[in-house]
Amino acid sequence: MRHLDIVDLRADYGSHTVLERINLEVGKGEIVSLIGPSGSGKSTLLRVILGLLPPIAGEVRIGGQTIDYRNKRDVKAIRSRVAVVFQQYNLFQNMDVLRNVTIAPVKVKGRPRAEVEEEAKLLLTRVGLGDKLKSYPDQLSGGQQQRVAIARALALKPEILLLDEVTSALDPELVNEVLDTIRDLATEGMTMLIVSHEMAFVREVSSKVVFMAAGHVVETGPPKQIFDNPQMARTQDFVGKILRH
Amino acid sequence: MDITLQFGQITPHLPYLLGGAWLSLQIAFLAFCGGMMLGLLGATALSFGPRWLRALVGAYVGFFMNTPQLVQIYFIFFALPDAGLLMEPYEAVLLGMTLNAGAYLTEIQRAGFTSIHRTELEAAQTIGFSLMQSVRYVILPHIMKVLFPPLSNHYILMTLGTSMAAIFGVEELTGRALNLNSQTFRSIEVFSITAGLYIVITFIATTLLALVGRGFFRARMRIL
Repeated sequence: MRHLDIVDLRADYGSHTVLERINLEVGKGEIVSLIGPSGSGKSTLLRVILGLLPPIAGEVRIGGQTIDYRNKRDVKAIRSRVAVVFQQYNLFQNMDVLRNVTIAPVKVKGRPRAEVEEEAKLLLTRVGLGDKLKSYPDQLSGGQQQRVAIARALALKPEILLLDEVTSALDPELVNEVLDTIRDLATEGMTMLIVSHEMAFVREVSSKVVFMAAGHVVETGPPKQIFDNPQMARTQDFVGKILRH
Repeated sequence: MDITLQFGQITPHLPYLLGGAWLSLQIAFLAFCGGMMLGLLGATALSFGPRWLRALVGAYVGFFMNTPQLVQIYFIFFALPDAGLLMEPYEAVLLGMTLNAGAYLTEIQRAGFTSIHRTELEAAQTIGFSLMQSVRYVILPHIMKVLFPPLSNHYILMTLGTSMAAIFGVEELTGRALNLNSQTFRSIEVFSITAGLYIVITFIATTLLALVGRGFFRARMRIL
């Protein structure tokens, strides 16, 4: 069953077209990775899905339902069904870990605080931060902050999780703790759309890899195809460069 | 030369001096509040306003930050009456200090605006916060944490700056000290007690502000 469906999507920054005729399907429980050179539009695609950048043309459908990005209620609805984790974590610096995770369910969804806190504690324990509830973001390492950000995203009980280069800002020795957390989510059947430069990881977890360049989808296929037997010259060139070292 | 300190002559006048200190605190508080409002308007204009408004606010801030406060108050007190605006010394001092504070607090608050993390706001948006919720839960707490220490410092400076009012005959702490000095001629005693009162006032204010800043806004402030 299709969970996230993107059809002929186009987006512009001012007069500059950054995404053109993007088509993408993500099935329920599927993990799809977006790879490609910087500036190819991977992160922009996530921003469009979230309504941070309204599309010029095309459609985004979630569970078969088309999102109208000019409609505030639709945008709000999509943000409760789709959660995102950013490269720079973007935690609220003025709140402790527990409040970072609980504030959206409590203030946006209006759920009882006690109940949300219990869930948040479980989530934080699951990402290995059960002992950091009262810490502030600036007291944590990058890897810890990123795991809080993942817990914050999960606290909204999203159907789909978008991960935007979540390990790019981390020191190498902290990358694995975050990747492990994502692996756990993968085994639980969470639908995910991942932008990543961790090629070994992408190959391991993805059911489908999408190679993008210059605002276009160049090639889509299983990891084996994209990494071992790419069909398009542009893909061969990119894969050749990143796998050589 | 022999100096015999005679604090005994001054201590009966302590309530008189304390009354002056109370007026000093009032002037500082009122001017600070007025300055905060001017500063909020000024910082908003500088950050989001059209070019002509930014130029206007820039000129205001430039003028008041680059001239002595005393000259500014003189101007208000002696020059404005020619324009038909006659003011009591207390009013002139209050207006001058407010306008001066407005300029400094414009700059301080503008720095707070520019320190807002756009990415934090985006995160707030993507978890479904409305604009008002973003302001309340993300922007304001952040601004308070960043701005509370410099605002506190300026408030302390303003408290001490109220002594300028004495020149215009306002009977705040320094003004009353001058009166007492000309009655008793015990200068050392009068001014050491006056200095002591200023120290007590600023010490209490600094400590209270630091406690509030640390307790409510997680601001990095030292407690003496």
